[in-house]
Amino acid sequence: MTFKEYAVPGANKEPILIVEGLTARFGDNVVFENIHFKVYPGEILVVVGTSGCGKSTLLKILIGLQPPFAGKVLYQGMDITRATEKELLSYRQNIGVLFQSSALFSSMTLKENIALPLEEYAGLDPTMTEAIIKMKLGMVNLSGYENHSPAELSGGMKKRAGIARAMALDPQVLFFDELSAGLDPVTAVELDDLIIKTNEALGTTMVIVTHELESIYKIAHRVLMLDKETKGIIAEGTPQELKNNAADPRVRSFFRRQKIVSPT
Amino acid sequence: MDQEFHRITFQRKENSFYVILAGRFSRKNFNIFNEEIKKEISSPQAPSVIFDFSEVTYLDSIAALTFFQMQKDLAGRGVNVQLIHLSDEAKGIFSVIHSDALEQRPLKSLADDEGFIQKIGQASLTVARDFADFISFTGALLVAFLQTLKNPKTLRKQDVLFYVQRAGVDGLPIVGLIGALVGLIIAFMSFLQLKMIGANIYVPALVSFALIKELGPIMTAILVAGRSGSAYAAEIGTMMVNEEVDALQTMGFDPVRFLAVPKVLATVIVVPILTIYADFFGVIGGMIIGVTSLDLTVQTYITQSLKTIKLFDVVTSLIKAGVFAALIAAIGCQKGFEVREGAQDVGKFTTSAVVNAIFMIVVADSIFAIMFYYIK
Repeated sequence: MTFKEYAVPGANKEPILIVEGLTARFGDNVVFENIHFKVYPGEILVVVGTSGCGKSTLLKILIGLQPPFAGKVLYQGMDITRATEKELLSYRQNIGVLFQSSALFSSMTLKENIALPLEEYAGLDPTMTEAIIKMKLGMVNLSGYENHSPAELSGGMKKRAGIARAMALDPQVLFFDELSAGLDPVTAVELDDLIIKTNEALGTTMVIVTHELESIYKIAHRVLMLDKETKGIIAEGTPQELKNNAADPRVRSFFRRQKIVSPT
Repeated sequence: MDQEFHRITFQRKENSFYVILAGRFSRKNFNIFNEEIKKEISSPQAPSVIFDFSEVTYLDSIAALTFFQMQKDLAGRGVNVQLIHLSDEAKGIFSVIHSDALEQRPLKSLADDEGFIQKIGQASLTVARDFADFISFTGALLVAFLQTLKNPKTLRKQDVLFYVQRAGVDGLPIVGLIGALVGLIIAFMSFLQLKMIGANIYVPALVSFALIKELGPIMTAILVAGRSGSAYAAEIGTMMVNEEVDALQTMGFDPVRFLAVPKVLATVIVVPILTIYADFFGVIGGMIIGVTSLDLTVQTYITQSLKTIKLFDVVTSLIKAGVFAALIAAIGCQKGFEVREGAQDVGKFTTSAVVNAIFMIVVADSIFAIMFYYIK
């Protein structure tokens, strides 16, 4: 098993996102309570946890799709949980999201999928838009596929096309929901490489929700672990720290892929 | 956040033309800086152009692509171009621009492969395939019904009741309202014509005859096709996309028996009832005109209405309604099973379910018209 060796980038800079006292609940059911963390520019932060711990809920709050019960998510000093529609739109132009299913629009070709945010927000001429689409498809190794529809692509290609669309406006933060879920190991590794390459070349901050251990070890600068029982963050650190040095047995068992053995 | 500061200085030093860039360069100020620079370098009159990035504080991939293209254009005109003092971040951004990706011609997609003649051929084949599919689905449905008759316990009664509620009870308000309005319109239009020859007394007969023999079953069937036929196609179509139908098959269930039989049965039960309901409200609608404009009493109106209606007409109307119902539900389910991938397919086959059902209703009605004429 190989780990990324370099330190968390951007840790000495101002955080790009600050989460303060965030609580999510559905009726009386508390998903997580009073969680705090920061996301630094240029880092790949992976959020892990067992099923039902609230990873996807957290992601939805971070991208402004779901209001929290309490707490703040600060982006450049603006609390996106209480932002006006206009402020939220401006925030959304600075983030990109890759959904689990890739969520490409099936009625459009790849070119039209990527052109959509460019035409809506960039105000560029068609020739430039076309060049940008080619550049973005080149970035994700899909050169030449602009006239293909999503139905003609494999699962891995759809994910890469989804990344190209999410990257269309050069977002500062990219969010990924279950990055390599449902992909074969080779495609998953290719996707991990693409994530690392994009992060290193463009310095894009990435927040990834996943529980694919191989992927976490390969791409994560820092990991946050959410827990269903305590309804909060139970561990934070590099994957290696969490695997080897975590005091909490739940964290160790997650990272070592072992059942928790209760003392007899 | 939306303001982008930038400054561009142009300098000529010896044999080089310097473009000194400062500040932020991104999609937000792309049109401005692109214009400024292009104006100056369109005819640089120097053998070399140097872009100095030393004071650039932010560069996005769109801006980097612009400088990359400027560099390529100038190089194409024989000008020597250099990008100097690039920060590590800027070098990273330039590293994602691949000139072969920009020049790559689009690969052929499946949609591109079809020429005009092929498209006509495909469309003809689709019509033929649709017909064959419908015949094959009808066969599968009949087999599923026979199996259900043989073993009634396998019928999902709660599903039948659910669709009776959905297609029938929930449809009562709209069917009643449309029925009443149609009755009212027929009565009013015929009153305008018949009053000229003093034949107002025939208005109730005309309304009830038209409604019970033709309009009631057709109107109800069209409403049910729009409400329920489309819903069946969308529901089964979404299940196809989510692989729920595959799951049913792998669990040993016949999807037609499991999904289509309750829907078809429920629709065949409710459409004749809805037709009677539409007829009743149609007569009421006609009666409003009869009582308010024709000076007829309620009793006279009803007597006149019943005069022309025979039991044969009511029975044939209900038979028609039952057949229309079977067509609507079967076509809705069959179209749902044809969905393969994505939201677009669901939309396409839902529309197709409604259009085909209405077409088949009209075809069946024509056949009934001729058949009942000879039976009578």
